[in-house]
Amino acid sequence: MSLETLWLGLLGLLLAGYFVLGGYDYGVQMLHPFLRAPGHGEKAERAGRNAALDAIAPFFLGNEVWLVAFAGVLFGAFPHLEGALLPGLYPLIVAILVGLVLGNAAVQLRGRADSARGRRRWDVLIVFGGALPALCWGLVLGLLLHGVPRRADGSFRIGFGEVFSPFVLGCGVTTALLFAAHGAAFVALRSDPELAVRARRLGARFVRAAGAAGLLPLLLTLFGAGASMTNRATSAIIAALFAAALAGAWWYLSQGHPVRGFAATCCATLLPVALVGAGHYPYVLISSAGAGLTIGQAVTDGATLKILSAFGVVLIPTIIAYQTWSWRAFRGRTGRRHPSYF
Amino acid sequence: MSAADLARLQFAATTTVHWLFVILTMGLVPLVAIMHTWAACTRDPVRRAVRERMTRFWGQLYVINYAVGIVTGLVMEFQFGLSWSGLSKFAGNVFGAPLALETLIAFFAESTFLGMWIFGWGRMRTGVHVTLIWLVTLTAYASGFWILIANGFMQHPVGYEVRGGAAYLTDFGALLANPNALIALGHLTLGALTTGGVFVAGVSAFHFARGTKETELFRGSLRLGVWVGMLASFFVIIVGQLQIPVLNRTQPMKMAALNNEGVADLQARLVRDHGPGDYIPPHDWLRIAMDTMTIIGNTVSTVTFVAVFLLWKDRLVRRRPLAYLMTAMIPFPFIAAVGGWVFREVGRQPWLVYGQLTVEDALSHVSRASLAVSCAVFIALFVALAVTNWTLIARFARRGPDATQLGATEPLPDDVPESGADGKQTAPVF
Repeated sequence: MSLETLWLGLLGLLLAGYFVLGGYDYGVQMLHPFLRAPGHGEKAERAGRNAALDAIAPFFLGNEVWLVAFAGVLFGAFPHLEGALLPGLYPLIVAILVGLVLGNAAVQLRGRADSARGRRRWDVLIVFGGALPALCWGLVLGLLLHGVPRRADGSFRIGFGEVFSPFVLGCGVTTALLFAAHGAAFVALRSDPELAVRARRLGARFVRAAGAAGLLPLLLTLFGAGASMTNRATSAIIAALFAAALAGAWWYLSQGHPVRGFAATCCATLLPVALVGAGHYPYVLISSAGAGLTIGQAVTDGATLKILSAFGVVLIPTIIAYQTWSWRAFRGRTGRRHPSYF
Repeated sequence: MSAADLARLQFAATTTVHWLFVILTMGLVPLVAIMHTWAACTRDPVRRAVRERMTRFWGQLYVINYAVGIVTGLVMEFQFGLSWSGLSKFAGNVFGAPLALETLIAFFAESTFLGMWIFGWGRMRTGVHVTLIWLVTLTAYASGFWILIANGFMQHPVGYEVRGGAAYLTDFGALLANPNALIALGHLTLGALTTGGVFVAGVSAFHFARGTKETELFRGSLRLGVWVGMLASFFVIIVGQLQIPVLNRTQPMKMAALNNEGVADLQARLVRDHGPGDYIPPHDWLRIAMDTMTIIGNTVSTVTFVAVFLLWKDRLVRRRPLAYLMTAMIPFPFIAAVGGWVFREVGRQPWLVYGQLTVEDALSHVSRASLAVSCAVFIALFVALAVTNWTLIARFARRGPDATQLGATEPLPDDVPESGADGKQTAPVF
């Protein structure tokens, strides 16, 4: 396997990692008003706690940086893809960033509010800051699967027509629902047992909804009005795996297996990234008219890539190691005895 | 405004606001790490408790600031690609590498470790917990290093060659040893430490002026802040001066425009080398930025120097006006630091990569309307964030250590009878 393919794999890993980890953050952000702790709810409410937000709290900062690392590697290893992609998707990227800024700030500062009213204001921003990026990432996926209107010089600019097509919208809604389900599955995994049961049921409902919404882009593709994949067989396999992951998530969540349910929603959130990467390989940005920007055209110069690789060999295992350490250190269900800061 | 002006305004606003958070983050985190280590090394339980409260109090102010800093950092990461695709087209092979390494080496680790530090109170062994905050400190400065390497390439490109209209990396070592970047990093580090020191000293002095009962906690903080502020502000001036010969060599036009000397000669030479165009950065901007920085730097240095002597027997905070003077100094290092960046970046104009790529040529094909909307949205958002951030910091700084939420577990009904029932604050258990 060549060095550039390896770096494309790494780029995919970072984006997939962000979808899995950031995905449950956004899901929990969207659903947190419906996932308050039962029983001692009133007391917790007065102290301003929210059990769902407590579940994601220790991981929150570490999750968002997967996106930053993705952007950094995109610039470092694939500058020509970055130079076309970000200005081309300008309105969507700006919307994602606005959502992230508001949502992240709100999650971290909510606990500093003095009154219930102040917290409610942050709550609105938390929901908005989860829903907007979730929806917009789905739209970006849809556009990348479908192809973008590239011009002769390689640049492109999306308009209303491209974003508001049934296929792209279908992808957006499916992703948002999937992230919501994924967030609920995470709460089912990490909250106290009473809340976990409610979160599990909510998660199963959202998995069903995501599956139903996902039918639209699938049917459009089958009838030739959706994605035109470069590698049909690979894409079909990944799409089948995605469907299986959704089915598994629904089954395990409704049968009372939160761990397996969460594993299944993890697979479901990362498979779309694999679909964009493997489904269009060797293209990294597909043109709506067919063909597009290949990995060879997008990648940085060989000398730079070698230097990055020398660092990558050490850095990637280190990153995985300390992130794993952080997950291990805060494993187990949240309780009232744990420091809850956000 | 043209599309280029809007894109420049958007970038300038994003970086400036981001920098205001970053400078306090970089200035505070070493101090918090020192306090935490100090607490961990204290045997006497009463003193240890005071020092832990001290760590949590300053740590919380730092974490509030970091929360807003990280989100502006997220936006920064995308700014290059959004508005300046010419940069990745021309210099992506070179410029992208330090940015990628910054995220993988520094940003990633900093956030993960900080998350663990915030939630590790009472959960992790003290040694591990203290190591975490030192790792956060180390990675915060590593982040600064890589960003300055990228920025240094824009100011004074080195270690590359241009083939067919694109830059290629030829000497990675030269890129990392760029004098323009390294000396700026030194200056910026000392500037950040000055800011952190003055902040800690100012808030502590405020509590003394208000007659705080936490004299031991704030005496320790005051001393640390004044000493760090004094040493850093002394050396920040020296390192600042050391930059001038480097600038004369690497960016002669910047210095010429600042001093209004020999501008015409340089302009003629640049026209000869790069074709017709206006290569003169605006004199007034540079002059005002430079003067702001120099005046504030000298003042802060003098005041903290005198303050060190007044630490003896708490003379600095015995009289209110003197204590409030320390508090009133808090904003000035921030203003000076913005002046520093204005001088550095406005002085680079009209170049994006000095002598190679102009700002105009690097602009993305983004419509003026999109830029106008995004520019307005980002500026509104960042101003709101900055106001929120400073309101919260001021509020929690004023309330003092009793109101610290960081590291405090929620009181259970049997821990605290009804005293905590107003629900406003959680009582610290340490």
